[in-house]
Amino acid sequence: MNFTPKPNSALLIVGHGSTENPDSSTPYFDHAAEIRKRKLFAEVHCCFWKEEPSMREALYMIDAEEVYVVPDFISEGYFTQDVIPRELELSGPTTQVHGKTIHYCDPVGIHPSMTSLILQRTAEVAPGVPQEESTLFIVGHGTGLNKNSTKAIKDQVELIKTLPECHFADVVDTYMEEPPFIADWAKLSSTPNVVVVPFFIADGLHSYQDIPMMLGFEKEEGLAASQKDVFRNNPYSLQDKTLYYSAAIGTEPMMADVILDQISTFDELHVSHA
Amino acid sequence: MSLTHKLSAALDSGIDQIGQLRILQNPLRLHHLDDEDLDSLEVHTDPQDAREIGLYTPEGEYRFTKGELSLKRGWIFHLNSVDELRQTIDLFYPASLGLWDAWKGGNIRVQNLRDKLGRQSGMYRHARNVSDQGAQELVQSLCGPANKCVKKILWKIDEQIPLADSEASRFNGIVGDADESKAIPMVCQEACNFFVAEARKKSKAEFEAKDA
Repeated sequence: MNFTPKPNSALLIVGHGSTENPDSSTPYFDHAAEIRKRKLFAEVHCCFWKEEPSMREALYMIDAEEVYVVPDFISEGYFTQDVIPRELELSGPTTQVHGKTIHYCDPVGIHPSMTSLILQRTAEVAPGVPQEESTLFIVGHGTGLNKNSTKAIKDQVELIKTLPECHFADVVDTYMEEPPFIADWAKLSSTPNVVVVPFFIADGLHSYQDIPMMLGFEKEEGLAASQKDVFRNNPYSLQDKTLYYSAAIGTEPMMADVILDQISTFDELHVSHA
Repeated sequence: MSLTHKLSAALDSGIDQIGQLRILQNPLRLHHLDDEDLDSLEVHTDPQDAREIGLYTPEGEYRFTKGELSLKRGWIFHLNSVDELRQTIDLFYPASLGLWDAWKGGNIRVQNLRDKLGRQSGMYRHARNVSDQGAQELVQSLCGPANKCVKKILWKIDEQIPLADSEASRFNGIVGDADESKAIPMVCQEACNFFVAEARKKSKAEFEAKDA
């Protein structure tokens, strides 16, 4: 998508953040830095639920009167539907808040352009590996509490299958905590090669440790999660298959483009700049 | 007037300090208050580096509370513009300049503790059950320079209950003994997530003590 610069607007990227894992917010700052470098907005800022600046503090940082808020989240759910609107005092797609016009975009993870990002990531992590002989697993958290958290992944899987540049023998959505379980990957694939992409924004305990343990190439003991070299030891030979493991999809620098795509989509649906 | 212009005007008026940061002009530089031999410092020119520097204490612990008095030393930023200075300060102390400006202008929307705790959900929703007394004790054991926080607290327990008098509640948001006309105070408009997490623990302890 071509992005029309917004020299009088601010972009506010909202992330979850963590009080325990310093890596958790790195992708958000990377995405902000990438977009700032392109000089498309008057200002680009980040804010968080669990880190500083908080959502309530964020508006004080912004000079611009028009603000695009993009949840750098992987799916629709509790945070995008309850927490962010409540904290930023939003009542719909566009809200006037404390003298500013706030446009609230959909989360990045549900944008259709995530599909090309996923395919690009598979090419990087498994270069030269024939897709026809490979199964692509996209791994989400999964929880019985919110159906929307799996919907984003199911939708991306269906979209990827329809892409002409996708030649994977199969593309499968899997989860850590609900079926189909990623732990059953060997049973769920009939190809000699397997590519696994965690559908998370940041690398953390899930992508460093939990999923590698479920895949069978990491043990609980040993180095601190963030020091494990799980993404650089590809490929793994497991259960008579060759497995290629990717970092969380949100760490991909091109996520900046998905953020911009989500803003363009918002404008098409809600804003007329005639 | 933009925040960059306001920061510029503040520098012109002689302000040269915020939190643990010293601002030098002509040329524009930023370094740790406690560093004196500027030639020995590692030079940075990209404002984005500030986040990395502020991420860990000198002992290697994660500084998720950015107002903590634990900023590591040994670096200096050489900056090209006040706009770059603003970006750098915002990465060391997120939203500090905007909050200072809103506070100074009487436009800050302070979130009292009961508002903040009342908005917590998931495992943190129990934090709202902490007693007023428990909350006052937490302020004195977690906030203020004695507990390594550099921010001036603006919030109360609720609209009717101010914070009990203490070093933490009196702190002016300025590190060291700099004159108030020479420093930008760091202000706290809502309790941080560390406070919320501790309020949850306190509330649990109070509940268990009542049950015992």
